[in-house]
Amino acid sequence: MSEKMKFTYYPGCSSEATGRHLDESTRAVFPELGIEVQDIEDWNCCGASIGHIGGGPLPQLALNARNLANAKKNGNEHVFTSCAACYLNTHGSNLTIRDDEKKRELANEALKAGGMDGYEGDLKVHHAMEVLVNFVGMDKIAERATNKLEGLKVAGWVGCQTVRPFAETDDGGNYDTYEEPHFLDDITKACGAEAVDYEPKTNCCGGSVAVMKPEKTLHLMKLLLEEAEKAGADVISTPCPLCQTNLEMYQEAINKKYGTNFNIPVVFPQQLMAVAFGMDPQKDAALHRNTIRAEKLEKMAKK
Amino acid sequence: MTAAIPQPSRTYDLSFARWVRENVKGGDKMNLCMQCGVCAGSCPIGNEMDNGPRKTFMMVRAGMKEEVLSSSTLWNCTSCYRCYVRCPRGIPVTSIIQGLAAVAAKEGYAPKQKVENYYFSKAFWWSAEKFGKTDERLVTMKYFFSFGLSEGIKKALDNLKVALGMIKAGRMHIGLPHTIKNKSQLKAIVAKAKELEQKG
Repeated sequence: MSEKMKFTYYPGCSSEATGRHLDESTRAVFPELGIEVQDIEDWNCCGASIGHIGGGPLPQLALNARNLANAKKNGNEHVFTSCAACYLNTHGSNLTIRDDEKKRELANEALKAGGMDGYEGDLKVHHAMEVLVNFVGMDKIAERATNKLEGLKVAGWVGCQTVRPFAETDDGGNYDTYEEPHFLDDITKACGAEAVDYEPKTNCCGGSVAVMKPEKTLHLMKLLLEEAEKAGADVISTPCPLCQTNLEMYQEAINKKYGTNFNIPVVFPQQLMAVAFGMDPQKDAALHRNTIRAEKLEKMAKK
Repeated sequence: MTAAIPQPSRTYDLSFARWVRENVKGGDKMNLCMQCGVCAGSCPIGNEMDNGPRKTFMMVRAGMKEEVLSSSTLWNCTSCYRCYVRCPRGIPVTSIIQGLAAVAAKEGYAPKQKVENYYFSKAFWWSAEKFGKTDERLVTMKYFFSFGLSEGIKKALDNLKVALGMIKAGRMHIGLPHTIKNKSQLKAIVAKAKELEQKG
């Protein structure tokens, strides 16, 4: 393989707990596609979608400024993350610091209080999926996928923040559309699996509201499962760690509330790729970390 | 935040709308709203909101400060950004709703109503500030017990099976929380940011 492109990587908090399988499969797959992954030194939490309430907008910006200032030390132009909320906050804060002089000054004053150099907003922050579309390309994924996932039916569920509100912007790399994104199905196909028609592709699972008050959002997740079942999907593939955890862990509550019988595995596209690349099903694809095991996918893995 | 929030007095008083315009992220675009309702129609859990985004914007214009800041609309945004990308006038709807929620939290409207999001966000921020990272396990427990001891135990037991599954899959951390190395640095940065935000 030609020389690897170096990217700074922001794993985010879920990478050490509920989203470990996303982190592990990302670290396995990206180098195979020519992307060298270098962590941000001593990274911290981005504040997710509620930091502005708990701490306030400027403290949340300061959290992200610290990460970006530390990312700068790696000397790479590009930063990426696999987590939707991390992307939203890191990318959004990067643009704020770049474009809003007043906010930049405030953020830098906060960094100075921690003995850090200022940050000017000159890095480029990407979502892992955008990196696959704009820097790697589907051809390269298809070429590397030597263990084609033939016969596996995959419902591609993009969710929200992976594409909204940045996928159709210049700064977001114009990598897909908000309403009908196709990158996820493209990855499925590049892995040799079948991308079934999945209407609620960009529907919301309830995000953090699902975590704090599941009753309010179980019907949203029920629809996501119903449509996957109707389409005959073996697995649902989603790029978002919160989407994956929510849809997996609430299936039992949904079955209890609605008298249904769902038991549909929810995996990450990185896990599909790891299996399609013929990599280790545990160490690389982390399939043992799915609480609803993707048995059909596991059988396809090279032992 | 800058100057104190004015208390509108007259029937048609734009002081609150002007304050939102100056102090809430995206608020400067709110006067572009033509009340089409695409935002409210796109909301995944709009059924949980008393007013929804469209009506909220009109209420801001009408100077209904108390009603806006004590509204359930602010606490049921899932941050899906559907309204944001669909708004035909390019108004960052999600950012404005989130900004108003932050104001409502700061001004004491949220704790008065015992809003779940408020407690959750406080638990979340506690972890982010203390450890530099979100410990999903501790945040969830802290959130559960913010409703009192018996409610906390009930919620914890309700979620026991899910938690055990997560532990088995190695997705719930056992032992001391993960922390960043330079906690004192983060503490100083956040303290300064809070001070600057207070000053406005």
